[in-house]
Amino acid sequence: MKLNRRKFLKYAAASSAIATAGALFPGASFGSWQNLSNNSGLISWQKAPCRFCGTGCGVLVGVSDGRAVAVKGDPNCSVNKGLCCMKGYHSVQMLYGKDRITTAKVRKNGEMVEVPIQEALDLVAEKLKETKDKHGKDSVAIYGSGQWTIPDGYVASKLFKGCLGTNNVEANARLCMASAVTGFMTSFGIDEPMGCYEDMDNANVFITWGNNMAEMHPVLFSRMLANRKRRTNVTIIDFATRSTRTSQAADKSILFRPQTDLAVANAICYEIIKNDWVDWNFVNEHVSFHKGKTNIGYGTEDHFAFKDKAESINFAEYKTFLEDYTPEKVEKLSGVPAKDIKYMAALYGDPDLKVTSFWCMGMNQHTRGTWINNLVYNIHLLVGKISTPGNSPFSLTGQPSACGTVREVGTLTHKLPHGVVMKEDHRKMAAEIWDVPVENIDPKPTYHTVEMFRALDRGDIKFIWIQVTNPMVTMPNLTRYRNGALKDDRFVVVSDVYPTPTTDVADVILPAALWVEQEGMFGNSERRTQHFAQIVDPPGEAMSDTWQIIEVARRLGFEKQFPWSEDDYIGGIWEEYRKFHAGPKHEMASYKILKERSGVQWPFVNGKETRWRFNAKYDPACTNGKDFDFYGKKDHKAWIWARPYEPAAESPDSEYNFWLNTGRVIEHWHTGSLTRRIPVLHNAVPSSYVELHPEDAADLGVVNGEMVKIISRRGEMTMPAQIKGRGVPPRGMVFVPFFDESYLINEVTLDAFCPISKQPDYKKCAVRLEKA
Amino acid sequence: MPIFSYIAIPASGAKKALCMDLNSLAHCEVIVSDNKDVVVLVTDTPDNDTEDKLQKSLNNLQSLQSLSLAFGYDDNEKQGRD
Amino acid sequence: MKRSKKRDRLVTGIAIICFLGVWAVMVLTASAAPVDLRDFDHQGKKIYDAHAATPQPYMSADSGDRNLATYYGRRQYPGSPPIIPHEVDQTFDGDESNCLSCHAKGGYSQEFDKFVPVTPHPENTLCYQCHAKVTTKEKFVETDWKSIRPPRLGRSFLGSSPPPIPHALQLRENCIACHTGSGAVVEIRVDHSARGNCRQCHVPAVQTTPVQEFVRKP
Repeated sequence: MKLNRRKFLKYAAASSAIATAGALFPGASFGSWQNLSNNSGLISWQKAPCRFCGTGCGVLVGVSDGRAVAVKGDPNCSVNKGLCCMKGYHSVQMLYGKDRITTAKVRKNGEMVEVPIQEALDLVAEKLKETKDKHGKDSVAIYGSGQWTIPDGYVASKLFKGCLGTNNVEANARLCMASAVTGFMTSFGIDEPMGCYEDMDNANVFITWGNNMAEMHPVLFSRMLANRKRRTNVTIIDFATRSTRTSQAADKSILFRPQTDLAVANAICYEIIKNDWVDWNFVNEHVSFHKGKTNIGYGTEDHFAFKDKAESINFAEYKTFLEDYTPEKVEKLSGVPAKDIKYMAALYGDPDLKVTSFWCMGMNQHTRGTWINNLVYNIHLLVGKISTPGNSPFSLTGQPSACGTVREVGTLTHKLPHGVVMKEDHRKMAAEIWDVPVENIDPKPTYHTVEMFRALDRGDIKFIWIQVTNPMVTMPNLTRYRNGALKDDRFVVVSDVYPTPTTDVADVILPAALWVEQEGMFGNSERRTQHFAQIVDPPGEAMSDTWQIIEVARRLGFEKQFPWSEDDYIGGIWEEYRKFHAGPKHEMASYKILKERSGVQWPFVNGKETRWRFNAKYDPACTNGKDFDFYGKKDHKAWIWARPYEPAAESPDSEYNFWLNTGRVIEHWHTGSLTRRIPVLHNAVPSSYVELHPEDAADLGVVNGEMVKIISRRGEMTMPAQIKGRGVPPRGMVFVPFFDESYLINEVTLDAFCPISKQPDYKKCAVRLEKA
Repeated sequence: MPIFSYIAIPASGAKKALCMDLNSLAHCEVIVSDNKDVVVLVTDTPDNDTEDKLQKSLNNLQSLQSLSLAFGYDDNEKQGRD
Repeated sequence: MKRSKKRDRLVTGIAIICFLGVWAVMVLTASAAPVDLRDFDHQGKKIYDAHAATPQPYMSADSGDRNLATYYGRRQYPGSPPIIPHEVDQTFDGDESNCLSCHAKGGYSQEFDKFVPVTPHPENTLCYQCHAKVTTKEKFVETDWKSIRPPRLGRSFLGSSPPPIPHALQLRENCIACHTGSGAVVEIRVDHSARGNCRQCHVPAVQTTPVQEFVRKP
């Protein structure tokens, strides 16, 4: 008691002195003052990109005596200009959870036993070689994530695709942005947004398509709100299936029934053409019209295969196609009043308004994800509102390096750092840079993520190495894939920083360095590459994922391909990787420049970042002599696609009569393995819950906090109800945040995916509810 | 058993030295401003003798330009109340 | 005149809600009927509405004439409704428009020569329900009442991280009302009022609730 009182008095003494110092020295900051310990008290600040979402905020990490002690927003970073969100501000606390994995562990007679990391790496290499020799090269796989640093993904691809010769390289970004990629590829022939965050300071209208930015991209969202406050002519429309903080902040909230965004997007195009709001100069010069296959399936069966086929159509055919989508017809299907559809069309169509559309998981985690991406591009292309400041169809990402590592390095089964494995010249380029025989690189893609875990279940894959991700929480239809991973002759290696349901199924656990415990680069949503130095030491034997792969590669005899020394391997890897992107369409900044700046946007040509691609005023890759050059496609045009409405893979019926929608909350990031170790965030949202509409809750007879059983054809989950909490789903829908490993909602979800992108739909399946 | 807090201003260019000096003294806790040349010192001594000795050592520091009291508390003055 | 108008609006409001209710029951799955956006997430819409509606000069103005000592001096415990510290005319009939004429928007009151604090809950219009006027300072008998300590300021979890929200949000949903503007208490005024998404950075961490760490279930 006495001690506590003295502590308090000292605290008061310190506060009062700090307050006085603040008065004497305006702006004085005492970053470390809560750590009244035996250290020097001096803080040094070093730049890094935030570890969490794809926004790519610049942060300054405060270090005192070798420990990260504080975070500030980096005022030099144009992404966030000094502002972070609650996750970013407290992010350094994620380094110091008590149950941090600091030594390697190996399963011996069913028990996980601690071993020196070098011994564990020996075993990984040995098992990998043994499995490959016995069952063929496609029986081994690596599964990474959009949290891989760029060097992590690069060495993984080089080892598996270049040296071992298997295309079994995938990343969890397949679950989060594959539809965005195929959307870009089909509409523009080249990946990643044409615009940048500066669009937000120029647009008059923001439309969020199934995108709760207030919680998921909060820093960008506040920039939007600040713009609305500063400029009088800014309107925000939230177009969603559930009411959220974003709906509350928006000037107008429009709700649609799940999956009908396809129909509404077409109805907007119908209205634009009907009212002749088409920008004919733009369309005639820069757009061509196409259609693809229809009734394309849902991929719920093993070995599902689909290949789309593009056919040219003319404008008249496109116009006829749209006749099924009058606002009045679509109102019946979508529940969106025709007048609201016309209102949105009028905003897109008004030549005096600049319009930016934002989307993320709502459109990407969609069994017609590629189509809905195409359809939103259609709207922007018809009215010519693209690639100019403020006019921007903008696909946001959810992981810090989903763009940088997965999309740009190409850690997907069909991809190479430049191009795809199917094309000979791309294979040749990779073989040359990688210093491997070109025959090594298999021209046939193998498994996308869902199929990879199905192959593990079937036994086609017997060795899998999982880095920086937690699939035993995130895979849809989870029970099947967990049982598969646990089968007897499957060997699962997991590199991670904390115990998770994925390390629970591992045969080897490798302790990994986390974030600024290693050097690396991330790439954010707006084509920005962000370097961070190693700022603190990793704990115990923890090792960067890059170096783990290099260690194993050398044990397999690939010293020549992995020659770098532990002191400067990141710089060496970056300069080698950069060769893949030479040229004005994708030129990357040098290692030296990346180290100096708080992020650099590519294409980085002649020392200049490219803000708006395809626009001759800003983009040096434009060569056709016109205002715009959509050089990704051979016809130098952007493609408008006639894509119809098709229903979801599973819709509510009389037995399973509710939609199940899953997603996130601002406090937690993905599976919560990091954010739940940050006390303040865990305390704010300590467990998951199921959101119900108040009237559905009343029908069911549950009040806040009572348990509800959610049952689908695949599994069930019993969890507490939340009514009028963070969000309110419409009647007939429930929403569950997926971060909580104690309530594995993915045992209930369906593993249906978009046949083009192979990205699963976590937002729609049918369930029924019982009071538990 | 007094607790005091001070604003300590280092001699020119001696901020780091001052922090080291203060940290090496017993009963002292140091909070450094990360952007201004100013340091907050909190002292917590068990008795008046120690306090006097500490005051002397503080006065002898070369790296210290000035020390001004911000907060003071002394148990002895309130004896009999607790 | 003012009051009768308000009642009309209320009646139509109720009619709309009834209609939506009936219609929503008829639609089997995920009706796209709008949800009342004011009525969830601790009435989170209030923050955004206040942010949009309050002119920037109002938010950034600072009279500096209210401080935490006077703030808590008017409350029996942190979170209790404050007393009415100023004279109220004996003939006052409790018409809310009289209170709200000053306390809805704030600004300078010539009558009291003071900057007016803004109420975070202007929709609760029966002000006298909770806020008592002071007619005497005499006590009936002395009391042993002891309040808990008010939340301490600046309790960030890390050196430079934004402080959490130390109080419960009920009836104090609208951050803009108390934390910006000329009537705001100086110690808790924010200097970045242009940003509207307060809970982007400030985590609710009510100080009277025990702090728990995440432990994996075995």
